[in-house]
Amino acid sequence: MRIENMDMGKGITLWVLPTKKFKTVTISFCFHRDLNEDYTYNALIPAVLKRGCEGFETLKDIERHLESLYGALFDVGVQKKGERQVLRFSMEVVNDDYLAEQGILAQAFYFLNRVINRPVLENGGFKKSYVAQEKENLKNRIKSLVNDKIQYSLERCAQEMCKGEKYSRYVFGNINELENLDDARLYSVYCDVTQSSPLDVFVVGDIDPAKVRLLLERSLSMERKQVRTIPKTTYKKLQVVPKTVTEEMDVNQGKLAMGFRTNINATDKEYFPLLVYSSILGGGPHSKLFINVREKASLAYYAFARLEKFKGLMFIGAGIDFDKYEQTVNIIMEQLDAVAKGHITQQEFEGAINALVTSLKGSMDQPSQLIDYYLGNSVMDSDITVEELIERIKGVTVDQVVEVSDRIKLDTIYFLRNRKRGYVIHEKRN
Amino acid sequence: MRREIKNEVLNERLIHTKLKNGLNVYVLPKKGYQKQFAIYATNYGSNDNQFVVPGEKEPTRMPEGIAHFLEHKLFEQEEGSVFDIFSKLGASPNAFTSFNTTAYHFTSTGSFYECLDVLLNFVGTPYFTDQTVEKEKGIITQEIVMYQDDPSWRVFFNLLKGLYQNHPVKNDIAGTVESIQKITKDMLYKCYETFYHPSNMVLFVTGDVDTDRVVQQVERYFSDKDVSKQGEIKRIYPSEPYQVAAPVVKDKLPVPRPLFMLGFKDTQVGQEGQPLLDKMILNDIMLEMLVGQSSDLYVKMYEEGLIDLTFSAEYTGEKDYGHIIMGGESPNPEKVVDMVYKEIERLKQEPWDVECFSRVKKKKIGEYIRMFNSLETIGVQFVSLIFKNIGLFDYIERLMQINYEQLKSHFNKFFENYQSSVSIILPN
Repeated sequence: MRIENMDMGKGITLWVLPTKKFKTVTISFCFHRDLNEDYTYNALIPAVLKRGCEGFETLKDIERHLESLYGALFDVGVQKKGERQVLRFSMEVVNDDYLAEQGILAQAFYFLNRVINRPVLENGGFKKSYVAQEKENLKNRIKSLVNDKIQYSLERCAQEMCKGEKYSRYVFGNINELENLDDARLYSVYCDVTQSSPLDVFVVGDIDPAKVRLLLERSLSMERKQVRTIPKTTYKKLQVVPKTVTEEMDVNQGKLAMGFRTNINATDKEYFPLLVYSSILGGGPHSKLFINVREKASLAYYAFARLEKFKGLMFIGAGIDFDKYEQTVNIIMEQLDAVAKGHITQQEFEGAINALVTSLKGSMDQPSQLIDYYLGNSVMDSDITVEELIERIKGVTVDQVVEVSDRIKLDTIYFLRNRKRGYVIHEKRN
Repeated sequence: MRREIKNEVLNERLIHTKLKNGLNVYVLPKKGYQKQFAIYATNYGSNDNQFVVPGEKEPTRMPEGIAHFLEHKLFEQEEGSVFDIFSKLGASPNAFTSFNTTAYHFTSTGSFYECLDVLLNFVGTPYFTDQTVEKEKGIITQEIVMYQDDPSWRVFFNLLKGLYQNHPVKNDIAGTVESIQKITKDMLYKCYETFYHPSNMVLFVTGDVDTDRVVQQVERYFSDKDVSKQGEIKRIYPSEPYQVAAPVVKDKLPVPRPLFMLGFKDTQVGQEGQPLLDKMILNDIMLEMLVGQSSDLYVKMYEEGLIDLTFSAEYTGEKDYGHIIMGGESPNPEKVVDMVYKEIERLKQEPWDVECFSRVKKKKIGEYIRMFNSLETIGVQFVSLIFKNIGLFDYIERLMQINYEQLKSHFNKFFENYQSSVSIILPN
């Protein structure tokens, strides 16, 4: 499987991955934005555009159109890739070969173009009622992060850890910013997105790249200006004073989230041993955290470590009893220490490499995961294929894993616990 | 005994073999895929808490959560953890327990045939000691407590408690922190012996695999195993009245705004196979037409800010119970519920047009075709259907045939005299 990468000019890149195995074709338009002060505006734009466009002015018009295209999936979103925000518009349609009707793929391209470039306008801006409703929805979405306690604790840990850095911005925006949002500015940010943001278009399925290119050229009616260069994500911070943050809430289980600076991102050669390091530590049932926190000490149902490859962060998470906080933190730190000393069994080492390889190979069977992988490459200006990455991981040695442990610095321990005195956030530097 | 089932629309084929010991083996070859996926499931879930062991007279009653506990414990073998073996082979194993099924599965990207043996072997070889059973209680307690903090889980189980008076579907799959303390290794063995006989199980394999080799390997695995026939397992479910247990269930949690679920109890139960499948398809289409994203009601509620993208609706149809559930986050759940009731009454007078039905049907066809992209989704869907006597391709075949008149009469019958319950979680 080989991805074809075509420069369409004006900062637009088309990525086509032809493969026979999928019954659908997935198209994804990804606009790249700096995670700057416009982040709340960026987060709102896809939601407003999703409400209607020329020809399909209401939610109902759009939904009925999608149904008539055999339940085409149409979705928009924002994603955080390090200190970058990606605005995504995607569609998945059943491949024409499986249907009595033809031309569904072409319709999908034309539809996405209308959504992105022909929004419903009112007095030179977006339709007011759409903006008002989607502002409210986005506000609720930001607030409801707290409903998922694992995600909440990890997000809070990252925010505390990266205070003052762009990375601390929540991908869905900020409540205060939303309340004071300026409608005219929203529209001008939107114009900037379509005119000046680097754009990647991904297409995965049983398709002919030349035909896809033609479809894109014909369907896209976007006015492009000078394309912006987006600053790179900063990821080095060696001098860290670890801090502890505790937050109280009416919960039954404590949520521990520990944030580390690895000082390595996906373009560094140390990235490959770092992947193995993190997997040995907490990448599945073969890992030190699973074995020691869960199986041996019976402290948790889940205990994991995972990497953020753009900003060079590692997060460890575990759900535990409130009074097991110290014991758990100690066991976790002992595991990091063990890796640093080279106490890695053959079983752990092989298990880690196998788990990474399996998950990467598996991602090739999922259109959305393939797109996410190559979007990551686009963000990092990297051209390593999934197959090459697998080979690099297989070549990692135990010594290299031990070596990277030197670079990994504990930055923040965040703990969500039950309420003792009211809703307060304690911060302690130690 | 071997047969091949084909589907032209999906362009897929499924090979079914029934072994001498009663195990049904299914293979769906998928060319070009990197992954292989195998799922080995027993027709035994959290609902099967009272039963008569084949050969015994007296019924046995088990603590809530034992099926799920057993699922956890099978991963531990005398030689150690099954995870270690899979990890050496580069495969990721997992399992789940539902109300009616316990399933063990793995995804591999090589070493598939070795992994398959490991799967059959660990599910086929229980090993429980007092000590390992005690240790698991700590882990499962954390699992139960974790779900208690999950508002969407809480709103769901509160609703089931509102819908059902006696049926065990109202109980948490993992049991309670108290109920699992009562579980012993002898109980686990007893449940295992009753429900893990190959004739009560199914094996499904998909990926770029050699069908003959899979079947031969499974046959070989069982060739030296005891194939003595098992008598019928009698499952005891208490009789469930027509009425719901409570029309409204309210609870408080630290949520930013209310969450709700509205449930309709299916009062036409006791079906399996095609009649059950037809009902499932009709309900899927009906819900899409009633509250799907293109429906008048959805759009109205969305535009008034009463619902958002968290809103969804689905029907669950089992042999001995069934329900429609819809819900999400809302600033005013009572108003949403009221609007749904009113819409049902309105539609009885002014039904949808046939064009709406055709569009939704198209959407459902597309959805089912799309599902065949993902090996894991196919496997889980297969298991959820097979114990109801429904084949993997039956859904799309029946779906293509269903017509508007059937839908209309189904709607009128389902909502003729309905029983409903609402569960609401309020911010505290």
